[in-house]
Amino acid sequence: MDGKTSGVIRCESLWKIYGPDPGGIFRKHDGAPSDEALKESGHIAAVNNISLEISRGEMLVVMGLSGSGKSTLVRCLSRLVESTAGRVEMDGQDLFALDEKELIELWRHKMGMVFQHFALLPHKTVLENVAFPLQMQGITPDVRRAKALEMIELVGLSGRENYFPRELSGGQQQRVGIARSLAVDPGIWFLDEPFSALDPLIRREMQDEFLRLQEMLKKSIVFITHDFDEALRLADRIAILYHGKVEQIGTPEEIVMNPATDYVARFTSEVPRARVLTVGSFVVAGEGDGVEPVAKDTPIASILRRIVLSPDARIPVVEDNGRHLGVIDRNALLDALFG
Amino acid sequence: MLSKTIKTFTALVAMSALGATGAFAQESDDPIIIPTHNWNSQIVMSHVVGKLLERAGYNVEYTPTDSQAVYESVRLGDVTLELEVWEGAFGQSFNAALKKGGIVDVGDHNAVTREDWWYPAYMEELCPGLPDWQALNRCASQFATPETSPKGRFLAGPVDWLKHDQERVDALGMDFIVVNAGSASALWAELESASKRRAPIVLFNWTPNFIEAVYEGKFIEFPEYGKGCKDDPAWGPNKEETHDCGNPANGYLKKAAWDGMEAKWPGAYRILEKLSFTNPQIAKMAALVDVDELEPEEAADVWLDENEQVWKSWLQ
Amino acid sequence: MMLARPWLPDALLRPPAVLLLPFADWLNAFSDYLQNDLQLTIFTRAIADVVQFILDVVNNFLLGGRKGLGLPAVPWLTVAALAGLLGYFLGGTRLALLSGGTFTYLALFGQWKLAMQTLALVFVSAPAAVLIGLLLGIAAQRKRWLEVSIAPLLNIAQSLPHFSYLLPVVIFFGVGHHAGAIATIIFATPPMIRMTLLGLKRIQPEIIEAGRTSGCSPRQRLWLVEVPSARQEIMVGINQVIMQCLAMVVIASFIGAPGLGYKLLLLLQSLRIGDAIEIGVSIVLIAIMLDRLTLAWAYRVPEYHGDERFLVRHKYLLGAIALAAVSIAIAALEPYFYFIPRREGLSTGFLWDPIVDWITLNLFDPLQVFRHFVALYILIPVRDLYQWAPFSAVMLLYTGLGWCIGGRTCALLIFSFLGFIALSGWWDRAMITAYMITVAVSVCIVLGLTLGIWASRSPSRAKRALLLCDTFQTFPSFIYLIPVIMLFQVNDLSAIAAVTIYAMIPAVRYTIEGLRNVPVPLQEAVTSAGANRLQRLVQLELPLALPHIMVGINQTVMFSLFMVVIAAFIGTQDLGQEMMRALSFNDLGKGLVLGFCVAFLGLTIDQLVSHWERRRKRELGLAE
Ligand SMILES: Nc1ncnc2c1ncn2[C@@H]1O[C@H](COP(=O)(O)OP(=O)(O)OP(=O)(O)O)[C@@H](O)[C@H]1O
Ligand SMILES: [Mg+2]
Repeated sequence: MDGKTSGVIRCESLWKIYGPDPGGIFRKHDGAPSDEALKESGHIAAVNNISLEISRGEMLVVMGLSGSGKSTLVRCLSRLVESTAGRVEMDGQDLFALDEKELIELWRHKMGMVFQHFALLPHKTVLENVAFPLQMQGITPDVRRAKALEMIELVGLSGRENYFPRELSGGQQQRVGIARSLAVDPGIWFLDEPFSALDPLIRREMQDEFLRLQEMLKKSIVFITHDFDEALRLADRIAILYHGKVEQIGTPEEIVMNPATDYVARFTSEVPRARVLTVGSFVVAGEGDGVEPVAKDTPIASILRRIVLSPDARIPVVEDNGRHLGVIDRNALLDALFG
Repeated sequence: MLSKTIKTFTALVAMSALGATGAFAQESDDPIIIPTHNWNSQIVMSHVVGKLLERAGYNVEYTPTDSQAVYESVRLGDVTLELEVWEGAFGQSFNAALKKGGIVDVGDHNAVTREDWWYPAYMEELCPGLPDWQALNRCASQFATPETSPKGRFLAGPVDWLKHDQERVDALGMDFIVVNAGSASALWAELESASKRRAPIVLFNWTPNFIEAVYEGKFIEFPEYGKGCKDDPAWGPNKEETHDCGNPANGYLKKAAWDGMEAKWPGAYRILEKLSFTNPQIAKMAALVDVDELEPEEAADVWLDENEQVWKSWLQ
Repeated sequence: MMLARPWLPDALLRPPAVLLLPFADWLNAFSDYLQNDLQLTIFTRAIADVVQFILDVVNNFLLGGRKGLGLPAVPWLTVAALAGLLGYFLGGTRLALLSGGTFTYLALFGQWKLAMQTLALVFVSAPAAVLIGLLLGIAAQRKRWLEVSIAPLLNIAQSLPHFSYLLPVVIFFGVGHHAGAIATIIFATPPMIRMTLLGLKRIQPEIIEAGRTSGCSPRQRLWLVEVPSARQEIMVGINQVIMQCLAMVVIASFIGAPGLGYKLLLLLQSLRIGDAIEIGVSIVLIAIMLDRLTLAWAYRVPEYHGDERFLVRHKYLLGAIALAAVSIAIAALEPYFYFIPRREGLSTGFLWDPIVDWITLNLFDPLQVFRHFVALYILIPVRDLYQWAPFSAVMLLYTGLGWCIGGRTCALLIFSFLGFIALSGWWDRAMITAYMITVAVSVCIVLGLTLGIWASRSPSRAKRALLLCDTFQTFPSFIYLIPVIMLFQVNDLSAIAAVTIYAMIPAVRYTIEGLRNVPVPLQEAVTSAGANRLQRLVQLELPLALPHIMVGINQTVMFSLFMVVIAAFIGTQDLGQEMMRALSFNDLGKGLVLGFCVAFLGLTIDQLVSHWERRRKRELGLAE
């Protein structure tokens, strides 16, 4: 990441205040209203001075409890709602400077969005739903049909193109939502709790599916969830939101190992560390004792058995390319897990 | 968008204005609009006249209209003429419209109209001395209901027919209470119910009317109507009150027309001036529908077939 | 205050004359201004011509003739066959039978011409009302100020008696078929606006966002996303429009609409009740048919035909063409299948007349005692009480009630509603109206609840009862005025009885719906707690259904106000009677003021009931 232009989306000091007079209260406090001032005047800062950056091909997972401002944040980033203040850049273009027409163009070509409750058009078939964004662009029926069929195939719904949304299960409906958001081949993909309305088994399946897709498509993604488990499975980086503010942003491991605030610490306390931490965090210099080496980003959970069963083994750690790094620091590791 | 609609409308307005002025020179092709009301003799008569006008080459349309509101419509030219202006029932509305302008009196029918208190024939057994009003007053208690007891109950027409029954009861010192029905249907429903049970009833009725063909009965004979009865207290038996008399036993039945009719359809206007119906003719029209259950148009055809000598001269 | 009556100054008993405001004169002046100074009539008459032209075209299509396009009429057999096919397409065999059967009934009973005139009116008014309502609803959803200003207007418009619409229409649009259509449009539009607005507001925000992120332009978003997503409510709106149109069939004939309604009044005028009932049945059949067709259309599952062969894909269209061709051929050979004049039609009139006779002959005397009792011990005392109560006390009472139930705005509204009535000078008449609806609504509540509870005990019974409600709601109420008069004579009791028959419908309907919609888990919970049926009803179902039942009672009040005006045809001394008089004498201002008085009586009750109901629903956690 080299400075200003590398991020696909950057936002700076982004504010979204709800209440009787958002702009007024914002100006009155010179662009930095305190929480108390907002509360007193009956306002809520759903997005409170957030700056962040998402780089190409990266998946940023935004996490937080209900009401913490996640949805509002993506809607500000995509300009579905008008922000109170701040700046959002998309591929270096100032999003807030666009007029209505340009904005529609942007939506037509650059962004895709998936919604928590699927938001499919009830009067259109699967095929028509997926082809809808293409229809909006005025693409001819044949072309959009071909493209839509391709997307439907991609999400594994072939054979159901002529179903209506209500004839599909929740998981299938969300597949349609995903196919629709991908139909225009957007560079940036927003997903607002796409799997929250699904039951755990389907959710798991959809996450796998999603990872498979991302592997192929390499989109830049803002993914919202309130499920830490989900965040861990998917994220490159996680941003934790609390009352509209980013409490911490970083890789899953950073967040678990070095919580920046008490809130984050409490938030992550229940997380099984073995799943988050990787072997690479517990390397000391030294030579292995001939046992099979492990890669540095292996989650600890998968070698825990070996460590516990053979207390004296010195397990070597290697990089992706096979270069030797050192051996596992067994004590540090056990301290991190149980201490 | 808006300007376009306005344009369309101005065009339309211009067209209709042109249509109106262009027609003045000779007989217009525009339809003559005849209002029909809610009693059958009038509807049949409208169709009789309409068919005559059609024979004379005019376009005719019928439109159902309220019998009081129609005078406003005639004034505005929305309907072209009115065939039954009853002195008692519509005299007031007609005169008011005359005053406002836009409507003209096209003369009387031969028929006379009467509207007054009326009883079914079986009442003569129950109350000897009828149709005299004093005899009626003597058996007032027979007509009592719990609300009016001990006084008798007179079932009057709707208030808006302005019959001054209450004034008459007061002026003649009758032991009756006036109860206003809300519509003609209400009158007939009570009459039907009462005569089935041969129960006492005295109610408002008029002639010509289909009722004559279905129920036998007579009008009550009040002190005979005379000029001054309605506005001169000194007139009649009660020297202090007005309205101490019956309604005129032979009120007029007029024809009226929109004041633009003569210019627009001169020939039709002549026909309207000439035509005139008698009481039996009108009663026959009503009976064709109310008793023989023909449709009004069919009734009109039947009537025209049977009365050719009557209408032939009107068309010349 | 009631007790202190003897000591109250006169000014508190009845509104003093100096305070009365000449609302009617103002309205008349305003109407004159519109007519004479603004020349609005040029504009309205132009609209009238357009409407008349459209009516002529539709009429021409249905009935033939020289006007409109000058085409020959479509044979009744063809119309019936196509209607049957449409019914089948939308809802299967049953609906096919209903729609085909309705048209066959109309033809066989010799009512074709009348029915087509009426249908022409519906076919013109309903789409116009739907379109206007849709556009206004959309506009109101877009513009906050419009929504805010349209809401009270809708409230008033929906509680104004039908008759209030007639005079302004006559003055600005004239009389005739088109005037009937225009009055119907004005009357039928408000529910469409309401439902459109409701539907648009109920769309999940996500769906709209999905539209935007799909790259919709504002116009695409409206017509391709929002309107289709609100289609359930819009369809309900369309359905209500159609019902309103049919409710106006008889009333529109007062200002010149030909057709079933006009004929009905004529028949009643010459006491041919049997024939009138036949017409009433036609109106009910048409109403129920259109109702079921639109509902079936609304809830229709779209089928996908993209991949099928041409013949299969267009089977209904081809079927329609074939049916039309065959039926036209038959009609060409045999005129009976083309048009059946009224004289050749069947008639059941002779069946009904003896029934009516029997009722009057055998029930009149037994009912005599009842009639006397009710008149002397209930009606007259209640009436006297209402007349006796000082107006200031009544206003205080209701304003206070409003305050307790709905807070300040509610109290203020009620105060201004009643204040208007007091200042208009119609207080006494309004109290007579109020007394009649009080009695009628009380009876409706008792009978309606009982019937509703009874009917709700089994699903099939509930279904049949609801069908009966539909029937009575669309059956022209003018018809039962006559038997009621025959039994009770011209007096308040007749009027109240007629009002009760009609106004009981919503009480029954909403009771059934409320009781049947109690969530099953709750029922199970209470049953498993050992409650018997009665306990379940009293402890669970009634309390839970009460808010919904209150909506029904609110409707009952509205229905009774509509009907009380119609009951003026029996003969009453209330606002309705004055309204008839205003209609006769073309007094637009007076007619409207009386209409407002009736509407405000209704809105007063509406304020109280709806505030209570909302509060109660919130307490029960039933709010949306
Ligand atoms: N249109 C709005 N008007 C007023 N307040 C709003 C609006 N939308 C959101 N808020 C407030 O902003 C805050 C953040 O809401 P947001 O929907 O972004 O939360 P979230 O994190 O997405 O929650 P969830 O997990 O429930 O979806 C909440 O307190 C909410 O009440
Ligand atoms: Mg959210």
